[in-house]
Amino acid sequence: MNRVERLLNLVAALLEAPRPLTVEDIRERVAGYDAQPSYDAFRRAFERDKSELKELGIPLETVEIDPFDSSRVGYRIPKSSYYLPDIDLEPEELAALKLASQALMGSGLHAEAGVMKLAAVVTPGSLSEPRVPPFGADLAAEQPLLASLYEAYSLKQRVRFTYQRAGGEETSVRTLETHGLVHRRGNWYVVGRDVERDAVRSFRLSRIRSKVELLPETYELPADADPAERVDLEPWEVGPDEPIRAVVRFDPELAWWPAQNLPGVPLRTTQQGAAEVELTVANLDALVNYALGFGAAVEIVAPPEARARLVEHLAPYLEGGGG
Amino acid sequence: MTTRTTERLRRILALLPYAIQHPGTTVEELAERFGVPSRQVLADLNLVELCGLPGYTPDVLIEVAIQDGGVYVRTADYFERPLRITPVEALALYAGAAALAELPGMEQAESLRSGLRKLGAALGPAGVNVELEPGAPSHLEALRSALNERRRVRLEYYSTTRGELTARTVDPWGLIATLGRFYLIGYDHLSGEERMFRADRIKAVELLDEGAAGPPEDFDPGGYRGAFKGEGRLTLTLELSPRAASWFEDYYPVTRAEDLPGGRRRVELPAGGLAWAALLALRLGADGRIVGPSEVLGEARRLAREIAARYRI
Repeated sequence: MNRVERLLNLVAALLEAPRPLTVEDIRERVAGYDAQPSYDAFRRAFERDKSELKELGIPLETVEIDPFDSSRVGYRIPKSSYYLPDIDLEPEELAALKLASQALMGSGLHAEAGVMKLAAVVTPGSLSEPRVPPFGADLAAEQPLLASLYEAYSLKQRVRFTYQRAGGEETSVRTLETHGLVHRRGNWYVVGRDVERDAVRSFRLSRIRSKVELLPETYELPADADPAERVDLEPWEVGPDEPIRAVVRFDPELAWWPAQNLPGVPLRTTQQGAAEVELTVANLDALVNYALGFGAAVEIVAPPEARARLVEHLAPYLEGGGG
Repeated sequence: MTTRTTERLRRILALLPYAIQHPGTTVEELAERFGVPSRQVLADLNLVELCGLPGYTPDVLIEVAIQDGGVYVRTADYFERPLRITPVEALALYAGAAALAELPGMEQAESLRSGLRKLGAALGPAGVNVELEPGAPSHLEALRSALNERRRVRLEYYSTTRGELTARTVDPWGLIATLGRFYLIGYDHLSGEERMFRADRIKAVELLDEGAAGPPEDFDPGGYRGAFKGEGRLTLTLELSPRAASWFEDYYPVTRAEDLPGGRRRVELPAGGLAWAALLALRLGADGRIVGPSEVLGEARRLAREIAARYRI
């Protein structure tokens, strides 16, 4: 018998069984297992099938069936957690979600698997795919940490992990009630209530130094949770320094850049056609880094300590050093 | 790991509910909806017919009939609804949707928004937020039109390599988002090579009346992950201070790394040209030292002098 047939029979049997099925029940009654030559061969086949169900996301539950013998377990698939909840999608909405699944690099297959399930609940109608130019989003969404965190968020269960603070060597163990995930400046952040500190904090995934451990404690998502709000805006806005005003000048040939890319930042044009922007800075190093990214076309005008810091960066390369 | 078994079972568990809920649907409609050829749908239905509930007597086997081109599935009420969406699938779907929604001027934007709203209502708040630095939205919109209409574009582009605005004629191949930003990929007539252009460094886009040559057969936006493909002709070797070593590899696509005494670390990475490599070294300042190649060191010294002149030292 084809393995897909056997698996389909297994899912049907576990969904419809009035009580949990033991391995013996499964071996005797589910079509496809009777062909196994020995008990060992049967157990191997059954174990393989269990991981297949897990891979598909089928909620297979193990329950104790004998109060006097905890080694005796039964299996079931609760209908309440197996079925997709009612979603009343229109064909155009499905088409748009399909487009989204195609845009994602790395974990696009997972997204497409989700879209296929949705395709089953969308009313008949044309599902012709809109023509779009090639677009790909590389969000590094396939990293395992992200999946563990999101799973915990879906279940509203606390997590624990080891975290290394920005700019520090020391690590600490954090317990978090996840409010959401944010992708910004190419990095993923997890935002939530840090239980020990009793405050909402954001953590960059690349600084998590352990696996994410799922804890049994559950929590409620606050109605006003706004994860994006909790991740810092621009790199120079966060840091160890007392916030100060800085002025950065973009040469005439780059004067268009801040107007286009730093909306909302105070900007003035000099007589020579350069653009000067005023930034609030709490991290001088980040500001220096940012300015140097433009080469000689951008200059920090004020404050003097930021200028001095920038010159320090150049120093190793003046007078023939740096190599 | 996704095998053909997983894939087939996944499809059957979605295709069956649809066929049960819509008696008389055609094989072709199932094929289109679930993205497989008609003969695969027929093979799936043939397989389903052999399955059912323990006992496997005719009354508990799944009944499949094809009459006048219509498909009828009976006695499988337990499969009348599809399997739930798993957290991993939801995460991928939300992330893709959020990235797509950042693309300005999408005709499907409204459908995407309402689709996501409905998903959220059924599955709970999405909890996934994606932000990409787009540059000027009107530029991205113009580039999308150019891609749609297969037209050549003229860009005014600020090149850090040249330290100046350059006029480029480009045949656009695709848009990608990586490292938190949008990039245009295309054939650059100025260099005679395929190039990536950072959207925020584009000052102006003009659609030309000339048709653009399309991408090569094997073009795959996925090949540009990390944003360095097609530019990384240079391998930069740096020696990092312990402080820089603690974060550097989170940001840059390091291909080789080696610990040195005293917590220092030697790293190798592909660099997007000489100027890019030199600027990276200057940004590191005393936290980095250029091991090689020597042209990068020369360029870093030249740039350092040029920048220092502005600071009157």
